[in-house]
Amino acid sequence: MAEPLAIHTQALTKSYGRVQALFGVDLSVKRGSIAGFLGPNGAGKTTTIRCMLDMIRPNGGTIKVAGIDPQADPVAARSLVGYLPGELHLDDNMTAEGALRFFNALRQKQAEWSYIEQLVERFDLDIKRPIKNLSSGNKKKVGVIQAMMHRPEILMLDEPTGGLDPLMQREVLRLIKEARADGATVFFSSHNITEVEAVADQVNIIREGVVVEVVDVAELLTRALRRALITFREPVDISALIQLPGVSLLSQDNHTTVELQITGDMDTLIKALGSYPVVDMQTTRPSLESIFMTYYETEKEEVS
Amino acid sequence: MGTIFRHTFRRSRGAILGWGLGLFALGLMIIPIFDILADQQEQLNQLLEMYPPELIAFFGDFSEIASPSGFLGIEYFSYMPLILGIYGIIAGSGLIVGDEENGTLDLIMGYPLSRTSFFIGRVLSVFLTLISIIIIAWLGIGIPSLTTESFSIHWGELFLPFLSLLAILLLFTSLALLMSMLLPSRRSAAMVTGILLVASFFINGFASINEDLQPIADFLPLKYYQGGDALNGLNWNWVAGLLGFALLFVLLSWWQYQRRDIRVAGEGSWSLLDTFRRNRRRTFPKSSSTMESSS
Repeated sequence: MAEPLAIHTQALTKSYGRVQALFGVDLSVKRGSIAGFLGPNGAGKTTTIRCMLDMIRPNGGTIKVAGIDPQADPVAARSLVGYLPGELHLDDNMTAEGALRFFNALRQKQAEWSYIEQLVERFDLDIKRPIKNLSSGNKKKVGVIQAMMHRPEILMLDEPTGGLDPLMQREVLRLIKEARADGATVFFSSHNITEVEAVADQVNIIREGVVVEVVDVAELLTRALRRALITFREPVDISALIQLPGVSLLSQDNHTTVELQITGDMDTLIKALGSYPVVDMQTTRPSLESIFMTYYETEKEEVS
Repeated sequence: MGTIFRHTFRRSRGAILGWGLGLFALGLMIIPIFDILADQQEQLNQLLEMYPPELIAFFGDFSEIASPSGFLGIEYFSYMPLILGIYGIIAGSGLIVGDEENGTLDLIMGYPLSRTSFFIGRVLSVFLTLISIIIIAWLGIGIPSLTTESFSIHWGELFLPFLSLLAILLLFTSLALLMSMLLPSRRSAAMVTGILLVASFFINGFASINEDLQPIADFLPLKYYQGGDALNGLNWNWVAGLLGFALLFVLLSWWQYQRRDIRVAGEGSWSLLDTFRRNRRRTFPKSSSTMESSS
């Protein structure tokens, strides 16, 4: 039976000399899903991905890529993966075509050239030009194509849309969805929360080398977590409200306006509000951005 | 491995053509001079008597310049390790770290390619590049020697000093590779190996006029480079010794490459210093949290 998890890390730690980059990263990415990897700069995204490909060796913890330990058998692990580095550097002296042919040769010509040509056409890329004459966006297109051209089981993309114009960003996201539809697993890091929310099934938020939140995007959109902004006619004591199961206080203004976060259904809260002089109540679902910003802003506060 | 080997060797075409053709042309120019020098041996000896012994020490016994082996030793092979050694050091120090510093290694190592395969492909490629340059240089000497009447050495025999040269080049190339694995940057690896090459050249030269330097020279690689003397009989033990050390340096480099982290791009830091700091930190743990530098 195939390993149900495409990527699985447990308690992954990594330090660079005195600098601790990962403090115990736990990740579980299901096969055939799109997992986003969000975090501020320096959070440990690239380090985590590079550990998965055995480019750097973790100090502790375990990694499995499609059930394979990349440290024990890096070739087997990488043969399943299409990788796009965050900082893409290509050999400037080659043409884009030469680079793609070289990359294909590294995989024993696993990719069909006709498929590569399709991708080239979709990205509107002139592959006859030397890499040194390509813009950074066009170099990125070469990077995306080389990662996808052999239709890998797992795509590890570090900032795949960075540096691309909006049209090409959309094309990359479309390709990511197509890859998932073909059965591939996509694990990608991004700073663009909107695009992550648009395509990802699951979002892992990393901060200071620890995965602090794993969000199921579908669940986020359909269930449960809501925010309620309630206005009362006069100042009230809300202590009874915030003691209700699944209810927590986000903010309060002059005891006449409160913002609550509710996990689960609203029934208990609404019944409890029956004894309060409620003037207005607005409920919203928190966006991925608001969840992410919660962690990001906490970090900024700590730094300042 | 084959793909890496072919790709790297293809990239070395310019170096082979540039260095090879340059040395080929040098050979074409030098060999015809031998006839002229042989005719003017007496005047030349008078001239050489005025030269300071320190200068003569670097180039060998000038009284031998009328013999083909002495001529080649002085006019060609005496400085060749320095000239080609520079190429070897640049190529060796950048063999893997060059790609790491310019960031292309990060992508290549994302492919199903073991570090060993990559390493062997690269090493074989640079060694073949050096062999190609040496062969072209040998042809540059061998071809005109066929038409120079007084040059009484068989063209095949002329390859012996090139073997000695190849052995010393492989040694310095391998040493530069090892240094690049141990030191934080390609620049520092090339600099350290380059200093050793130049120091070896000078100490070995001065050792012939200052016996006190001889024990030091015995430990330096150039002592075991024969140059033109190889035409009087190649010391196979010395060649084997140089190649043995080259192999040892390659193996140590491979071992280090297996263990180390691959950088995204740019130069590294002094790992020994980091180790020292780490050990100190273990002894005196700091309470403050560390900052991250990589994402």
